Amino acid sequence: MMKIDIAHILPDIKSLPPFPEVTQKVITTLDDPEVGIQELVEIVQYDPNLTANILKMSNSAYFGFPREVHSLNQALLYLGTQNLFKIIIASGATRLYGRCCNGYILDQGELWRHSVSTAVMASVISRWLGVPDGALLFTAALLHDIGKLVLDYYVHDAFTEIMALVKEGNYAFQEAERAVIGIDHAAVGGEIARQWNFPDKIRLAIAYHHLESPEALKNDLALLVYLADLLVIILGANLGVDGLAYRGHPWVMKHFGLRVRHLEQLLALFWPEMQKAQEFFNLDFRV
Amino acid sequence: MQITVGVADMQVTNNPQAVLVTHSLGSCMGVAVYDPQVRVGGILHYMLPEASLDGNKSTEKPLMFADTGIPLLFKECYRYGAVKSRMIVKIAGGSQIMDSGCFFNIGKRNYAALRKIFLRNNVLIKNEDIGGFSPRTLYLQISTGKVWVKITGEGEKLL
Repeated sequence: MMKIDIAHILPDIKSLPPFPEVTQKVITTLDDPEVGIQELVEIVQYDPNLTANILKMSNSAYFGFPREVHSLNQALLYLGTQNLFKIIIASGATRLYGRCCNGYILDQGELWRHSVSTAVMASVISRWLGVPDGALLFTAALLHDIGKLVLDYYVHDAFTEIMALVKEGNYAFQEAERAVIGIDHAAVGGEIARQWNFPDKIRLAIAYHHLESPEALKNDLALLVYLADLLVIILGANLGVDGLAYRGHPWVMKHFGLRVRHLEQLLALFWPEMQKAQEFFNLDFRV
Repeated sequence: MQITVGVADMQVTNNPQAVLVTHSLGSCMGVAVYDPQVRVGGILHYMLPEASLDGNKSTEKPLMFADTGIPLLFKECYRYGAVKSRMIVKIAGGSQIMDSGCFFNIGKRNYAALRKIFLRNNVLIKNEDIGGFSPRTLYLQISTGKVWVKITGEGEKLL
């Protein structure tokens, strides 16, 4: 197969279903400390679809508020800025992920389930480590595999060669993507984030989530997304043909002071959290 | 009729129409047991080796762990008339990521925990499909006791 580069893939990125305008606007403000709940309200209040999603999520077990939430104002009061960010971005992303990936052999909805699982796992890990469990990490985790939507077509064509490297050559899946196609799904994801004007922190966490760049080692957001993704992969749900063919890097464990027993504790904490997060799969994605 | 066994869950039945199925076995283990005389079978899908990991979870979610889940699977089969000496045991799962050390080897630890429990209780494993990089789906047909696994991108394999 002839190898390709980022430039070759740009038309494919342009043909992706666009993020809803509201979500796009909200993501670009994610890393802006000046943006408060009032600004977010102004952006979302004219979108009945988004309002419905906010109410639905406010009453979900995931956020677990003590009383039923009936109005947008009440919801915003309970949720706070970071959780509001999470719901708006998840509502936009669900539209993007609503298709199957034949190259990766993922049925419709499986990449979305994997993405939500990774975001939930990232929250569990950050709370466990005592680092901020904010919308920035949630978004990076939710969108980390966005590149698969575009690379899918190329993986489909290069399937036999990629699988041969994974099975016989001891290549991790994204290493095999690079060796055969010339580019991997993390780099493609980074490029999508660039085209869509995501904040740099999100873009880099997506691009580095398999820790292929030395820069990744200094990027805590990328390391957390990597670990959350890896733990979800280890568990085995909603995986495609790439399955568990990814590398565990021991120094990430050292970096966060973790041992295998801690990983087991994180998995035990994750599973009930994931049960509570089912409402994410009922988000409405009409625009 | 397919009956799905969730993660950290089990199903036991003697309904001859039933096929038990559990999806998404990564590092998790699927344990399929069957007594051909009374045609009772069950599948347990556990996530982690030992309940001592978290005191609360073991009482709340005993099926999450090998050491609390496996005894419950056998006991539930006995309620339907199964006898331990007749029971056929087949297992699948325990996949691993690429791990140069022993930092992420939850799949191996899950398998080791099961071997330890079975050894202590004189239970033999008739057949197994363990390890590798692929997630599996495990099936048990109650009318025949037939057990098979499905691997994404590879198709089905009889156990």
